[in-house]
Amino acid sequence: MTPLSSYFAFPEWLNMLTALLIGTGFGFALEQAGFSSSRKLAGMFYGYDATVLKVFFTAAIVALIGSQFLGYLGLLNLNQVYVNEFYVTASIIGGVIMGAGFIMGGFCPGTGLCAMSIGKIDAMVFVAGGFAGAFLFTESFPMIEGLANAHYRGPVKINESLGLSPGLFTLLMVTAAVTMFWIAELAEKKFARPEITNDL
Amino acid sequence: MKIRKEFSALLLLLSLILALLPLTANRSFTAKPGKLLPEILKEDVAVTVDQVAELIVREDNTFQLIDLRSTEEFRKQSIPGAVNIPYPEFIKKDPETWLGNKNIRTIFYTTEDTDSDYALVYARGLGYDNSYVMEGGITEWIATVMETKFTGERITARENALFETRRRAGEMFTELNSLPDSLKTKFLESKKFSAKKLDGGCE
Repeated sequence: MTPLSSYFAFPEWLNMLTALLIGTGFGFALEQAGFSSSRKLAGMFYGYDATVLKVFFTAAIVALIGSQFLGYLGLLNLNQVYVNEFYVTASIIGGVIMGAGFIMGGFCPGTGLCAMSIGKIDAMVFVAGGFAGAFLFTESFPMIEGLANAHYRGPVKINESLGLSPGLFTLLMVTAAVTMFWIAELAEKKFARPEITNDL
Repeated sequence: MKIRKEFSALLLLLSLILALLPLTANRSFTAKPGKLLPEILKEDVAVTVDQVAELIVREDNTFQLIDLRSTEEFRKQSIPGAVNIPYPEFIKKDPETWLGNKNIRTIFYTTEDTDSDYALVYARGLGYDNSYVMEGGITEWIATVMETKFTGERITARENALFETRRRAGEMFTELNSLPDSLKTKFLESKKFSAKKLDGGCE
């Protein structure tokens, strides 16, 4: 947990404590931002509220810029940062299932847990559904193993497969994100609905 | 609304700076086995001990020797001018530190061949095409350079030059390795060898 633990060889309890503190901070931020309301997430799909897109994309590009700078200054070894492995077929199918789950449930896993902890019944059902899905996936894995491992590409990075330098890729990504924020804000004005979250 | 615009502008500015910085540190091992294998099996990635001896005697500064053995082994015996980066450390840290300068050829060596070959695959796989291995490692160096003997009747000019290079490289090796540890460090730091002194005192 966190790069600090490998520098200072944290004992297990301190690792778990760090995880608890980061998790609590994350949950607090989600709840503060109103993400425990399924309207926020559904709003993304209907275009009247793009907060989710803006928040998560901002987090991603801030992390992207920050890690590149830390890497450049020699404070972070980017070669040791884990890169997710790319299974093409599984990513497409998993993406569709997860997207459908998002829109139907109105939560993503993190916000679902957040909403469950403040006692929302729909979130409890959502989390139970998530566990049921995980259970089904695990039990049926031998049957779908071929599909899950199909078109394996290894831990590829987008900039490297496009032949771009990390810096240029960051610039393109940030430009795309800022453009998207701008379009999202236009959509928010066009599809505006009265704010009712606070009344519920 | 204003703060959002300012923040967006700040992010764009920072990413513009990033795009202009030479970010090469975070490379991935992207080489495909089918392409990498023929490349590392090619003869020109292996440098003979005689070629290394010549580079050392000539005080060539377009190459660096990396000794991948452990620090203890390196202290006991090493080739003049070599830098010690134990193999486990080499693959753990960012290779850019050692291989980043494209104008300098890097030659790896170990006791024999295994770790230096691994290091070569790793370095070339990351795109450092300026990496080579010294064939046979320090074992071959001792057998060829240190224990060289001419057994013939007439020596050609080319053979004479070769043996002269081996003799001078051998003397540098012996001189370096007979120093006590404290002096050896200084000797390695200075990395300068006086050809005059090695040739003897006739001048």
